[in-house]
Amino acid sequence: MTQYLTEKKWFFIAMIVGAIIMSLPIPEGLTQAGLVVLAMTVVATILFVTEPVPLPTVALLIVVGQVILLGVASDVVAKSLMKDSVLFIMGSLMLAVAVVKQKLDKRIALMIIRVTGTKTTRIALGISTVSGILASFIGEHTVAAMMLPVGITLITLTSDDPKKVRNLAAVLLFSIAYGCSVAGIGTPSGGARNAIMIGYWQEFYNIGIDYLKWMLYSYPMFLIQLPFVTFILILTFKPEVSDLSPAVDKLKAQVAAQGPLKGRDYVSIILFAFVLYGWVTMSSTIGMGIVAVLGAAAFLIAGLVRWEDLNNGVNWGVVLLYAAAISLGVQMKDTGAAAWIAQSFLDMLTPLGADKGMGLWLSVSVLTTGVTNTMSNGAAVAVLGPIVLNLANAAGESPVVIGFITAISSAFAYLTVVGTPACTIVYASGYLKTTDFLNVGWKMALMSTILMLIFASVYWPLIA
Amino acid sequence: MTLADQNNNRFRILVCIDGSEESYQGLRYASRLGSGLDADITMVYVRPVDQGLNSGGLQVRVARQNMMDWDLDLPGIRYLKKGRDLLIELGHMEEDWIERTTHVESRGDPLGDNMIEYSNEEGKQIRLWLKVAETVEGGIMERWEKGKHDLIILGVTSDHRSKLQRVFGIAPIALKVATNAESSVLVGRAIEEGKGHLICTDGSEDSLNMIRKDAHLASRCNCPISLISVAPTEQQRGDADQAIEKSKALLDEMNIPVEKSIVRVGDPVKEIIKEGEHHSVVVVSGTRSSGLQKYFMSGIAFSILENSKTSVLIVR
Repeated sequence: MTQYLTEKKWFFIAMIVGAIIMSLPIPEGLTQAGLVVLAMTVVATILFVTEPVPLPTVALLIVVGQVILLGVASDVVAKSLMKDSVLFIMGSLMLAVAVVKQKLDKRIALMIIRVTGTKTTRIALGISTVSGILASFIGEHTVAAMMLPVGITLITLTSDDPKKVRNLAAVLLFSIAYGCSVAGIGTPSGGARNAIMIGYWQEFYNIGIDYLKWMLYSYPMFLIQLPFVTFILILTFKPEVSDLSPAVDKLKAQVAAQGPLKGRDYVSIILFAFVLYGWVTMSSTIGMGIVAVLGAAAFLIAGLVRWEDLNNGVNWGVVLLYAAAISLGVQMKDTGAAAWIAQSFLDMLTPLGADKGMGLWLSVSVLTTGVTNTMSNGAAVAVLGPIVLNLANAAGESPVVIGFITAISSAFAYLTVVGTPACTIVYASGYLKTTDFLNVGWKMALMSTILMLIFASVYWPLIA
Repeated sequence: MTLADQNNNRFRILVCIDGSEESYQGLRYASRLGSGLDADITMVYVRPVDQGLNSGGLQVRVARQNMMDWDLDLPGIRYLKKGRDLLIELGHMEEDWIERTTHVESRGDPLGDNMIEYSNEEGKQIRLWLKVAETVEGGIMERWEKGKHDLIILGVTSDHRSKLQRVFGIAPIALKVATNAESSVLVGRAIEEGKGHLICTDGSEDSLNMIRKDAHLASRCNCPISLISVAPTEQQRGDADQAIEKSKALLDEMNIPVEKSIVRVGDPVKEIIKEGEHHSVVVVSGTRSSGLQKYFMSGIAFSILENSKTSVLIVR
């Protein structure tokens, strides 16, 4: 019993905090329903961060809470769970598994090495560039999972003793993780958080940001970050070996054993190219989610992946969780809770002179970076999205700019293992320590924040 | 004697391996404690079950499966095998021991729990255990089908958490295991062998029980034993003297020599930590009067555990 209480203490603390908030006198400018939604949001945030119960449980509680505490009809809650952005998250996760299963990783590795040669710095840049470009379209988790064995193989082929290649391991594995993380902002399909923000823009302001428009805003920023990633990594970790010739030769021999591309390889490449084409050209008409779901169906029909693989490789609880978080986000808007938090936050910022322009952008970015380092970045955008969009409204700023700042800053979770999907996957290799993330992460976060603010003040006004 | 009795009479040590130097130092110490024929060592690496959210909804197992397709070992396996090689190097086991591998699907994870069991003709066993659990600490403390472990050893690096984090933050795995496990727990901080055990005593029945148990442990590694008792004020010095006398008498009865008996006046936590620096392990009682006390994790034992620079053994 004591052990149960110890393990679940944050669950009970969260519930008590929720009960206290709900029993408070209603603050000025907030309704009873708004207070309930505020309490639910605080409880959900505590549970997201401390994880005392499996996270999909939070999704179930959000659904139940809306019906029981808010009195919303069950059918209405059920409808609010499924949106195009949720379909997109579901479809792109299935596509991610399908792509990883095609085993194109060795060929990609060979392609990188052919271009970069054998110097460590050039290989690191090559890995982050190729990982990044792929990740910007097919999602960072997909590419991190594909490229992880490439990085580890290069490390183990250099030396069997992990201690002798600790810094090299850090440089190569972070090149994958951060290459993918900085790329996640590049296109709407780069990460669930982007789809969630697009959904909020549509829901709150009826602003339609299509695939190409998103890329126009953020793709240049991703590309500019790439050389900085390699520079920061090499400077921080100073790899033990500057030339990886022996490892590269062995890797080439391994890849050569696979033989030339086969029919099914071509089919999978063509199918994926069609999905990308669909996202770019049809997102605004049939929806990104439908393209993703159609792509997943095409992979199944072509027999390139088994349903069992998709079923085991996708965490369906996450789809449920994002669905519930978005549904709660909509309630935050409808009950006025988001507007109230936004106004309170703005009142706090006004004395600091951060209630508009650069000050506000920086505040939103720091808030998002802080939140995203404690929970998954999709969840961070789902929780913060309604608040920052209302903040933009109250401060007279463009919701598009503030929305982009939130979606992009949510990728700055370089400091912790759980921050971004790519970091979590690379950490699963066992070669990195949690302190490595802290050592290099703050430099990355600083670099990305500065670049983003430059983009927000110089580049975005040009294309708005 | 039945097989079950034989199993129950064995001294079982669980060493948590996470690939760090400290965890292998813990294993070296386990090898000293478990050198007898009646002792078994299990090395465990716990992989927390992936919640999926952190990896963006793509199961981490997809990446792990991909690693295995490249003939790369899973990280835990590599660390555990390194531990096995260390035991061979120390002469604790031979390469020709009989090997038995078991695999169980666990918590919906097909990679699941994996165990390699090595045994010699006399029945001595070494196990490598790659385990999946909701949390690392939960996995370490989980009851094992063959009965509980007598001692859990965890190696930790120095604790960098700030004061604020200590109040609000989530306690590191070692502290969680040390406060909640049913068995004795050795939290190893750069264990230096050969400097002996420093047992903290207040003369109570609890601490006498602890002395009995630790005497048994210390005899396994031929580690010298010293006693310390701290009186908070000068007036209470007599009580501390008495506690030492009682404890010494008990050890005399057991024919175990006491290397040094120390009585100090001052803050018990500070004095014990200071004296502890001259010993390999500080030994404290892990018995609690109530469940509530444990829940809030307070008391002298916990403060020593949290702040000591030396390894701390919590005896239960």
